[in-house]
Amino acid sequence: EEEEEEETPDAKKSISLPVSRVRLIMKSSPDVSSINQDALFLTTKATELFVQHLALSSFNNGSGKDSNTLEYSDLAKTTEENETFHFLTDILPKKILARDYLKTLEQMQEEEEEADL
Amino acid sequence: MASSSGNDDDLTIPRAAINKMIKETLPNVRVANDARELVVNCCTEFIHLISSEANEICNKSDKKTISPEHVINALESLGFASYITEVKDVLQECKTVALKRRKASSRLENLGIPEEELLRQQQELFAKRTAVTSLKAPVRLAAASLFTPRNPRPAPNEQGNHVNDS
Repeated sequence: EEEEEEETPDAKKSISLPVSRVRLIMKSSPDVSSINQDALFLTTKATELFVQHLALSSFNNGSGKDSNTLEYSDLAKTTEENETFHFLTDILPKKILARDYLKTLEQMQEEEEEADL
Repeated sequence: MASSSGNDDDLTIPRAAINKMIKETLPNVRVANDARELVVNCCTEFIHLISSEANEICNKSDKKTISPEHVINALESLGFASYITEVKDVLQECKTVALKRRKASSRLENLGIPEEELLRQQQELFAKRTAVTSLKAPVRLAAASLFTPRNPRPAPNEQGNHVNDS
């Protein structure tokens, strides 16, 4: 367990994400000055719920359900279809899937190598 | 894979913590590696989203510090109202724990001070105990259990065996 907190209240039992890391991320946001300790716990808990929500939503709505796998495309799909997750659009290219992009990269590299010969 | 560059943008929740959560949420489900990576980044994005919104709400109020109330309002306005109940439970736990700790520390202080007072009370109890011996046996036993002193000392009629410490 990560005991990075000066105080480690029992409430931490219901929180699995590292609170100190959440604090660091929050403070790296522009203009955010001071955060009340309880507010920090709340944000951490909310982030946990978000992970669960995102994972479940993506899995249930996605095609991965048949293969029992959660794929990148499932996440992309849920982000597109669920208005609450639209804020994720910037970090998630809708059309291009990571593995397709990597494939394209590989192909480009192969073509370059062939051209060099 | 931990980034040691001082760049704030590289700050993310540790992958292991995310993996564990995903596993608990979707047991027996395989998760693609790029999907895991994405969830990690989504978390960071979410935290920024909530902080910014809560910060704005905070600025509009008279307070300088982001409070739980601000966070809850932020969740509401961003469409995460469904999280609020569970999130509030954590708040309640925090308050309970803080209250317990405060009570515990004040209780300790109360115990520490009157050592002489405790001693005096103990003498009183012994006096009472002697008075109680005239009662019938079951009642006497019950009463004795109530008056058991915290630091057992030899009963008055054993004084002959008691060696005085220097």
